Amino acid sequence: MGLQNLSLAVAPGERVALLGPSGVGKTSLLRAIAGLEWTLAGRVLVNGRDVTGLKPERRGIVYLHQAPSMFPHLSVLDNVGFPLEVRGATRAQARERAAPLLERVQLASLASRPSTALSGGQRHRVALARALAANPAVLLLDEPFNALDPALRTDVRDAVLDLLSTEGGPGVLVVTHDVDEAAALGHRIVVLMEGRVVQDGAPAEVLARPASLVVAEFLGIPNLVPGECDGRGTFTCALGSYPAGLPRGPAVLVARADALRASGADCHTRGVPATVVDMLHRVGGLHVRLRTGGVELIAVPDPDATFSTGDTVRLSVAVNRVHIAPLHSELAAGV
Amino acid sequence: MIVPRGAHGARAASPVLLLLLGAITIAPVLLLSLRAVASAWHYPEILPTQGEADTVLLALRSPALWGALGRSLALAAATGVIGTAFGFVAGRALVGAPRGVRQVATAAAFLPVVAPPIALGVGIQVLAIRAGVGGSVTGVLLAHVVPAAGYLTLYFLGVLSAYDLSMEEGARTLGASGRQTFMRITVPALKARWLEALTLGALVSWGQLALTLLVGGGAVETLPVALLSFVRAGDDRLAAAAAIVLSLPPALAFGVIQRGARQTGASA
Repeated sequence: MGLQNLSLAVAPGERVALLGPSGVGKTSLLRAIAGLEWTLAGRVLVNGRDVTGLKPERRGIVYLHQAPSMFPHLSVLDNVGFPLEVRGATRAQARERAAPLLERVQLASLASRPSTALSGGQRHRVALARALAANPAVLLLDEPFNALDPALRTDVRDAVLDLLSTEGGPGVLVVTHDVDEAAALGHRIVVLMEGRVVQDGAPAEVLARPASLVVAEFLGIPNLVPGECDGRGTFTCALGSYPAGLPRGPAVLVARADALRASGADCHTRGVPATVVDMLHRVGGLHVRLRTGGVELIAVPDPDATFSTGDTVRLSVAVNRVHIAPLHSELAAGV
Repeated sequence: MIVPRGAHGARAASPVLLLLLGAITIAPVLLLSLRAVASAWHYPEILPTQGEADTVLLALRSPALWGALGRSLALAAATGVIGTAFGFVAGRALVGAPRGVRQVATAAAFLPVVAPPIALGVGIQVLAIRAGVGGSVTGVLLAHVVPAAGYLTLYFLGVLSAYDLSMEEGARTLGASGRQTFMRITVPALKARWLEALTLGALVSWGQLALTLLVGGGAVETLPVALLSFVRAGDDRLAAAAAIVLSLPPALAFGVIQRGARQTGASA
């Protein structure tokens, strides 16, 4: 595991989304926290108690795999009751206490079914109910919706949010490489790159102000316009000049598509002239790909305007929604 | 309809092949049964001209045969249990081992399986004598365990490669201790496999002659050794009766494995 100088705190009831590219060590980190992998250094504290040397079952941490495994020889209800039974409850007591949890994930009708008969989405719900039956201090979710198709993913994600939003719930650390999922699940997003935390903040903050060009690229922000800071508070690029409190040197203007608006050339709005490359039909709406000053950009078209490839348009920038980031450092400056 | 190439031919050949296979399997047992009850069966008669069941009954009343049978059963059971325990632990270790280690260990597990029993027996005999267990049941048991452990290590390596280890990890973080996880998750999840492994280990022991003779030095009489002594004494009928007794447990084991496979949804 190539993780270094990494420090993460999750408050009780808080959901933290750990976001990072594949292979960065997210799963290794979760497994190390759960006690399923050895670590050369570092400590794991749960409610102030050092659990680093403890076995997985004594840490108060539940780890849910990407594709949660059911215990095939147990019924759905007995799967949920499993953590209670291993803590000394009788089968009857475990069933009695597991039943309400199964109801909360809306699967009470499947209680007596064999767990092998469950669909992918149902397995996730049962696994989550089973995890909560263990009453953990920390819940670790490893790419929880990766194996689900998009429709089911939203459904299960809503169920997870519903279940974890109750007061007194565990601290949740969820690993994902899906930005939308991280934003939907986390109170906080922690971006992990090259084995270290490069940004830690509220989803809106991280998405609006990525800490560096690399983070912005990873987050899939489509408009990264290179330019130059003069060291006196001004950044200049193909889209114009903007205030930026960065030292002199190369920097980049970071803008989501909805921060750039394309209007007809005859329109009286101020803006930079740009040429329409093509129109992009996306789930989130219509976008337009433009070229200006040798840079390609994605913008939202004016609702009243209709464009064709090769048209000249005016491109306006919502200054309060763009962000100037340095090329290599994690330091960032708002406009 | 898409039919795989050669499917028609295979289907047409199936009954003939099955019949042939059945005949090859059943013919020796039939002949043995006839030999056991035949008091007169001379060339060129196809079937015995006289028969009596006395020999079989005599054989069944023989304390020597029962003693040998009991010894064989005990050795087979112990070999099955020890071999299964060893095979599971070794297979488990090998599944998680680096590729190079796994390859070397797999080759080592193959050795007692592929080595001729007589060659293996000579090697084990030397060790058994040095360990002071030559000519004893313990020595024979250890000798039987060697090839059984090899078979079962390879068996469990295959089984555990396909086994979902995340189930056990999940159980551990849900609060189950290592022992609880083994008893409540691993054992029931591999239920049919345990039965198969025990049977396989027992069968490896059940038919052993060379190892038993070499390490037991003739002092440990198992059913195959008894059978050999009947053959040496020229008592064909008694030998045939003992051979039938020797063949029954493998047939039963086959049934057990078939049943286990059906329960787990695999066809054997």
